[in-house]
Amino acid sequence: MKTRLLVLAVLVSLVLTACGGAGGAPAAATAPVSNPPSAASTQPAAAAAPVQITYMEWGDPAELDVWKAIVSDFEAANPDIKVDVQVSDWDSYWTKLKTLLAANTPPDVFAMDAPLFLDYKTRGVLLDLQPYIDKNPGMLDGLYPNTLAAYQAPDGYFGLPRDFQTIVVFYNKDMFDKAGVPYPKSDWTYDDLRATAKALTKDTNGDGTIDQFGYVIDPWDFEPGMSEIIWAYGGDLISADHTKTLLGDPKARQAFQFLHDMMFIDKSIPDPNTTSQYGGDLFLSGNAAMIAMGHWAVPSYSQAGFRWDVVEMPKGPAGQATSVNSAGFVVGKDSKHPEQAFAFIKFVESAAGQTRLAQMGFACPVLKSVAESDAFLKQTTPINQQIFLDSLAFAHMKPVFRGYDEWSSTVGDGLTPMWNGEAELGPTLDTIVSSADEILAKNH
Amino acid sequence: MDYGLKPLGREKLWLWIMLTPTLIGLVFGAFGSILATLGLSFMNWDLLTPPTWAGPSNYLHLFTNAAYFKALTNTFTFSAMYVPGVVIASLLVAVLMNRKIRGVSIFRTIYFLPAVTSAVATALIWNLIYGRDTGILNFILSRFGLPGVCWLCTKNAMVSVVVVNIWGAVGEGMIIFLAGLTAIPREYYEAATIDGASELQRFFSITLPLVTPSIFFQTLISTINAFQAYDYIYMMTRQGGGDSSIPVVVFSIYRNAWNFFNYGGASAQAIELAVLVIILMAFYFWLERRYVVYE
Repeated sequence: MKTRLLVLAVLVSLVLTACGGAGGAPAAATAPVSNPPSAASTQPAAAAAPVQITYMEWGDPAELDVWKAIVSDFEAANPDIKVDVQVSDWDSYWTKLKTLLAANTPPDVFAMDAPLFLDYKTRGVLLDLQPYIDKNPGMLDGLYPNTLAAYQAPDGYFGLPRDFQTIVVFYNKDMFDKAGVPYPKSDWTYDDLRATAKALTKDTNGDGTIDQFGYVIDPWDFEPGMSEIIWAYGGDLISADHTKTLLGDPKARQAFQFLHDMMFIDKSIPDPNTTSQYGGDLFLSGNAAMIAMGHWAVPSYSQAGFRWDVVEMPKGPAGQATSVNSAGFVVGKDSKHPEQAFAFIKFVESAAGQTRLAQMGFACPVLKSVAESDAFLKQTTPINQQIFLDSLAFAHMKPVFRGYDEWSSTVGDGLTPMWNGEAELGPTLDTIVSSADEILAKNH
Repeated sequence: MDYGLKPLGREKLWLWIMLTPTLIGLVFGAFGSILATLGLSFMNWDLLTPPTWAGPSNYLHLFTNAAYFKALTNTFTFSAMYVPGVVIASLLVAVLMNRKIRGVSIFRTIYFLPAVTSAVATALIWNLIYGRDTGILNFILSRFGLPGVCWLCTKNAMVSVVVVNIWGAVGEGMIIFLAGLTAIPREYYEAATIDGASELQRFFSITLPLVTPSIFFQTLISTINAFQAYDYIYMMTRQGGGDSSIPVVVFSIYRNAWNFFNYGGASAQAIELAVLVIILMAFYFWLERRYVVYE
């Protein structure tokens, strides 16, 4: 009797847990099946049949149209290759990609975010592109060197940058004009930023709660707002050999203290609980005068009902600094059509492909000649695009190391109580450094 | 314990024919995944390179993993508030809905609506209700001269989230209890009324004992749901960078598997969660034999 009871209990709970599970973790449960590359791989003499390759990336649905245009240009020039483009949102993209890799049916070409590059490269799922690059001498000559560096492993290139993002300060011109505050200049300092932000922080409807903030940063992801000031103070995120987290060092602490003071003394940076009330982006909703942001925000900010422009990140005690990060292409190691895959990458890196990408407006072209042409500089949104390129002169690479995702999540999670005003800055940084170093040790 | 009808002769054949599609689904879908998860929980697997044998290390690591311990604590705290909350609230609503009042079906529909509405959409609406400076709830409080509360700040978020989850589950619980309530013969109430029992006495002496099978079933379902709760919680407590201010075990499983290249560890967490649920279920079935009244 007792055993029957237990068996019943086990069965009931297992079945119910299993049934419910499908609804619980949305993207995880359904492994999307895309056209496996083998579909078109019956290659023998049938030379007429074009080879089908797959290109997968994350992105906005609006980007699909531009990619279709790039693909049709490419197919016109290469009638023997067909490209199937698949675009997913950021979260589903990585889940989908990992599922396909686990099933040994990865797409031929897929998009990579530079910081995550080594997580894939070191696990041996990427194709070494060096032999293909060697067959195309001069191919990399016109590309910005700091975007190339991210994909260069000691044994060669296992990826190539597609476009890049530098972080700049976006500012709401209407809000500056209304308050009679002069626009920020290219050589401004963090003290200027703090004073400007303070002057623009207001309770506009007089209900006793601040509803217009001077400056916005992303308090979890280091890319927009935090890494820039740490570098400008002379600190760094992690050591060059990727073994030590440097966020607890004196210079990084000063930088954190500065942002902390802006948030808790001046109240010119909104805390996370405030930000979430405004749908996450106070600049777009017209409740913030300035925000540290990348070029990816340009298309959505273009829909905003106010005039805005961009300016370089400010100078700190150790000079001016910003972050550069690139999205790139990688090829699955076991791709059945590496030649065709590389031909597609080569086309997107060319002036024709880069021009189309520039017009998409989400990022900056990695090909210098296109970035400095009207295709990028004269876009429909009347802002100073040149600032994104000029920022490269003092840009630090967004860190690229194995375990990046877990490291940045741990650090970001650890900072949350501090930004919420529930923990002190000093002890928070101490805790973060030790748990972040554990992850570095595990991945080294 | 043997009650109910038994299938006879040809009925038995049809029974199996009818059950086959579901059984195939269970065997190849659910049980296959369960076995695979069990196997992977003893492996190191990052999804990209072939799995390697890890022995019990994934399980041992759970004892020293602070993030997992936090998630487990949150899941238990959540369940401890959620399960009694759902059972009591849905029983009360069912009793209210079990009367002859005008438009009762409209009320029943309203209570059931959250069950058929997208969890993400409702969670976003609740964010508007709970907002600290701009929320509807604090606006109402301020009208009564009361100070605003930061409902979704870390110290209050658990209770706020439990309330929303209970609200979302009352509809389904109500259906279960309504079925149980309508099965209670009217004569019992008539007899009790003649004997002069008050409404409260009738509830505690007739309704409550006779509805225990439904209470048992609802407690069981709510417990399993509580251990799997994820969507409302994540949508209401998510932070930038994919974090949640109330990480629960399901969140931890998802994140380890899909963000941290730790599929083996995630599988071990899933198995441990299942084992905990199984232990609780065994306890519930033991309670059932002692306290549940079957007519």
